[in-house]
Amino acid sequence: MDLNFTDDELAFRNEVRQWVAANLPADISQKVHQALRLTRDDLQRWAKILGKQGWLGWGWPKPFGGPGWNAVQKHLFEEECALAGAPRVVPFGPVMVAPVIMAFGSAEQQQRFLPGIASGEVWWSQGYSEPGSGSDLASLKCRAERKGDRYVVNGQKTWTTLGQYGEWIFCLVRTSTEGKPQTGISFLLIDMKSPGVTVRPIVLLDGEPEVNEVWFDNVQVPADNLIGEENKGWTYAKHLLAHERTNIADVNRAKRELERLKRIAKAEGVYDDRRFRDQIALLEVDIVALEMMVLRVLSAEKSGKQSLDVAGLLKIRGSEIQQRYTELMMLAGGPCSRAFIFEAMDAGWQGEHVGAAHIAPLAGSYFNMRKTTIYGGSNEVQRNIVAQTVLGS
Amino acid sequence: MDFDFSDDQEALRDAVRRWVDKGFGFERRHALARDGGATRELHQELADLGLAGLTVAAEHGGLGFGAVEAMVVMEELGRGLVNAPYAHAALIAPALLAAAPRPLQADWLPRIADGRALVIPALQERAARYRNAHVQSRAAHSGDGFRLTGAKTVVPAGDEADAFVVPARTAGDDDDPEGVGLFLVARADASVRGYPTQDGARAAELTLSATPARQVAADAADLLSLAHDIGIAAACAEAVGLMDRMVAVTVEYMNTRKQFGVPISSFQALRHRVADVKMQLELGRSMSYYASLKLGEPEPQRRRALSQAKVQLGHSMRFVGQQCIQLHGGIGVTDEYIASHLFKRLTMLELAFGDTLHHLGEVSERMQDSAGVFA
Repeated sequence: MDLNFTDDELAFRNEVRQWVAANLPADISQKVHQALRLTRDDLQRWAKILGKQGWLGWGWPKPFGGPGWNAVQKHLFEEECALAGAPRVVPFGPVMVAPVIMAFGSAEQQQRFLPGIASGEVWWSQGYSEPGSGSDLASLKCRAERKGDRYVVNGQKTWTTLGQYGEWIFCLVRTSTEGKPQTGISFLLIDMKSPGVTVRPIVLLDGEPEVNEVWFDNVQVPADNLIGEENKGWTYAKHLLAHERTNIADVNRAKRELERLKRIAKAEGVYDDRRFRDQIALLEVDIVALEMMVLRVLSAEKSGKQSLDVAGLLKIRGSEIQQRYTELMMLAGGPCSRAFIFEAMDAGWQGEHVGAAHIAPLAGSYFNMRKTTIYGGSNEVQRNIVAQTVLGS
Repeated sequence: MDFDFSDDQEALRDAVRRWVDKGFGFERRHALARDGGATRELHQELADLGLAGLTVAAEHGGLGFGAVEAMVVMEELGRGLVNAPYAHAALIAPALLAAAPRPLQADWLPRIADGRALVIPALQERAARYRNAHVQSRAAHSGDGFRLTGAKTVVPAGDEADAFVVPARTAGDDDDPEGVGLFLVARADASVRGYPTQDGARAAELTLSATPARQVAADAADLLSLAHDIGIAAACAEAVGLMDRMVAVTVEYMNTRKQFGVPISSFQALRHRVADVKMQLELGRSMSYYASLKLGEPEPQRRRALSQAKVQLGHSMRFVGQQCIQLHGGIGVTDEYIASHLFKRLTMLELAFGDTLHHLGEVSERMQDSAGVFA
């Protein structure tokens, strides 16, 4: 047992730290540190910088052009990026669809799709949820009918994050209504510029059009875009979920945001208020405990000696903590948190802030974070999974 | 970064577990508690396994092991609901006596290591609550030794001990961090009033009236702080073992007990509670590792980490204890069944070495701009 990283791991961290410091554009990291609005261009710029270094697919194995890092290295990379104020990499391409293409796609599909993902050139979206299929995802209805060498897709997807920027979308579609719902689902890659695809943004409670509805009206998709076998899509999707391990906890970002919370609390004079400060202390304990749990998972993955099935716990705890730090920041902002000046969250806005510039994004962040216990398998679904593991029935 | 146990550590765990399985079932624990909570014979059995000398240096007949081995033993003692004063006698006392003059070490450590001597640190005073710098007891020079006057409260296995390690003040006000020394007092010289505890063991009130004592260490503030942190790490690890056992018996019960014609483990309201219990258990286990692995750090980092750990474990043990009792229904609140005994021990551990609010205050005081496992 040893808490500390090895010398090699520390050297690796240092290398990443220096690279990030030299390559992360200051205007972007400033926005992240101040929770200001990020544009499509901000996200794309950082993705392409990573892509050029070969690190956008930081979890990828070497044969597919990735760095081949182990679990600890991946964690250290994510931590250095988060602490430096890098935007979260939009995960749908490099983190979500790429591992599925690597595991189940044909060699031709791998050559066709992976380079665009690795470089950050192509923006991918995710088409899973439907209006009638949230937690019960397997009940999805969006239909793909095989006609010769193509599929004809009809139906609707929803909650498609940043889908307004999407160029390609990976979808779970229904190809059969026989048998169990899970056995009639296929994994299909669709060009969003195809005729019949309509994207409509949904404005969320913070005023931001973060997610979208996507309609498919007789969309023609080449059969070559089917991943693996027809009706096996559910298995592939589950593989994807298994790939999301520790970074789902987002503990590195939580550490960065805890620092921001302390800065705001000091500026607003509540850091010296015992009652408020104890709440920060409690959050600090929660974050350290979550980080320890993440490190235990990484250690288990590294050694392969013990299996730790705590992915559900990481998701539940990580999301609760995200909600809590935004809540405390909003409370630290006090009554001025009530002001809603949409432009005040744009970098370089010249108007007069209410209270202070650092208060402008606080309530919006709090509202936005309510999503975290809902998406990615709601926390109630996660509790079902955890209970199943513990009770064995 | 590595959280695997070594083969030696696993072997140590197996040895303790085998002893529990063979010699310390719930029936024996129950009977000991019912008969007043005396545990001296238990302590001797642990000593016969070599465990009393776990952290005593090899030159004094001990095994010379460190914090991780101590954690492993505490987890297993917790799992076994063993009510011996192991943390005080085998982990804290040797750490304090290691600072003593050589002759005092040579006199006591070998006897601690083989179990002949039960030496208990008497660290708490009534007015101090959990502030270990607050010491009212006074020590005065007398010939070539000292005489102590004061009172110590809730001293584990106090009326079964052979001697106590006692903080007492040679200078300063009650709250002065300086001027506190550590002294060794024979039980025969002190006035001891023993009584059973809620968690099936014994404790005692210790009254010192110009009681003769030998000096262990002169300026002992740092040593006392370390003693409490060793105690915290031990309490955390014991709580993990207790919670593991509690979850195991709860799962077994839920899969067996039927209501409305089905096992109660099929009800979602209860299943979600089990998930929440598992969460607190794993957060607790994570922070117990953290506590033991941070014991060797410099004082500021160690102190902050150990308080963080005790806050987490305080929440975990209270939540797991309360919820697992609730999941059992009526059988959970009976004396005949193990769940209530696990619950009572978990409850009392929250009050050991500083409760959750006390340590939250410590964390709050010690916060830095950055936080995290390596901060």
